[in-house]
Amino acid sequence: MSGRVAVIAFPGLNCETESARALERAGLEPEIVRWTRPASVLARFDAYVIPGGFSYQDRVRAGALAAKDPLVDALASESGAGKPVLGICNGAQVLVEAGLVPDDGVVRLALARNRMMGRSGYYASWVYVRVEPSRCVFTRGVPPGTVLPLPMAHAEGRFTSSEPALIGQLADAGQVPLRYATADGAPARVFPDNPNGAEGGAAAVCNRDGNVLALMPHPERAVDAGAVARRVAGPWAQRRDEALATGGEADGPGMVFFTALRRHLEGA
Amino acid sequence: MSPHAEAVRPRRGTRPRTVQAWIELRAEDPEASSAESVARTRLASGAGLVALRRLRLVELRGPLPARRDVEGLLHRSIQFYNPHKERCQVRAAARDPVPVRPGEVAVLVWDRDGERRPAAEHWWDHQTGARIEVREGTVWLVTFAPDGPPGGRARRLVITEGRDSGLLCNPNAQEWRLAEDRVPLEWFASAPEPRVASATAEGATR
Repeated sequence: MSGRVAVIAFPGLNCETESARALERAGLEPEIVRWTRPASVLARFDAYVIPGGFSYQDRVRAGALAAKDPLVDALASESGAGKPVLGICNGAQVLVEAGLVPDDGVVRLALARNRMMGRSGYYASWVYVRVEPSRCVFTRGVPPGTVLPLPMAHAEGRFTSSEPALIGQLADAGQVPLRYATADGAPARVFPDNPNGAEGGAAAVCNRDGNVLALMPHPERAVDAGAVARRVAGPWAQRRDEALATGGEADGPGMVFFTALRRHLEGA
Repeated sequence: MSPHAEAVRPRRGTRPRTVQAWIELRAEDPEASSAESVARTRLASGAGLVALRRLRLVELRGPLPARRDVEGLLHRSIQFYNPHKERCQVRAAARDPVPVRPGEVAVLVWDRDGERRPAAEHWWDHQTGARIEVREGTVWLVTFAPDGPPGGRARRLVITEGRDSGLLCNPNAQEWRLAEDRVPLEWFASAPEPRVASATAEGATR
């Protein structure tokens, strides 16, 4: 297996080290690629992660300037050849602003300011997401209906579009592999279960081929079962308590995405 | 209500009107510099771009006190601008000047359904006893080399359609208005640009 993964770090991103560690833990070979490297360097990798943070200080709009970077043009070319790309939080914003999801080249979505009852601005919490039927590489092998607790932290994470029916159509086409949910897996209707007012409760959107995923929660912050938040309920609470009691290093819910990537690259 | 309220409380029957506050950084604006650099080097629509400036526009609408009192309230509050690092120009009538230089095209961009500023409205109510509406957006002032119609080129620079097209507004979540000759005093409420299949069409004019 070749599992070289480029973790693309634009100025202002701040989750590249955690993302690289999560990939390493999954048995992959991450390398942090700074924005100063030539775009041609990306060709030698098998997959790509754009981590979270504040690329270019969120100037103009979150993700808007990084989306114009030559590295993203190269990323479009590589993803067009089928290589997987995962954008986490600000990375997701970059993919959306670049038009890499839901279709290559056309900007049909936005990650708009959160809509939260009685509050505004930045919101950080643990949320539940439910895995939906999808061709997405990063949830492959995970049974639909699986509920994962994940941390989220953003001010602009509301998937929306000027095409009123688009997100519903994407869901029907299997391009919404994760939706916000309650702890027992029911669709999240309102804040805080749906933490940003995303249309259709979308927590992630992928491209048609399923190899490019824009994911708002932060799986790289949930790679240890022992790090799952105390208020999380359900089976992951039990795994957390066991991990804390034994001092073991059991995988947390965030590893699902990185393990699925490894399996994909192995050709499983 | 604030103890200072009596001095700035609008008289009963005061008709609602609109005042604009144009707020600009005193220092060089790194956000505008970044946008200008990316537009010029990466976008076809940035060809011929000479300068790009950014201001914040705050529109207040309601029973407002006299202009000088409005200026004082804006200056005193932390809700609108920081006078240590920003300057504010108030426009209380359509004939008042705006900080737009000759040759600049002004484009207002705001988050759809996200332009209201409830905290500022509450502060104003507390200070003056008057309920007003406060809206905020970003004004981009675009200057192109004088070899073509600036409005059409500005539109192409505004509307983000793809990696190589548009930058200043993602129309999936934002609204925009363009003013070539005269900036309306109620700019947020002005008629939207007609929707076109593609803003890259040269015919996409008002």
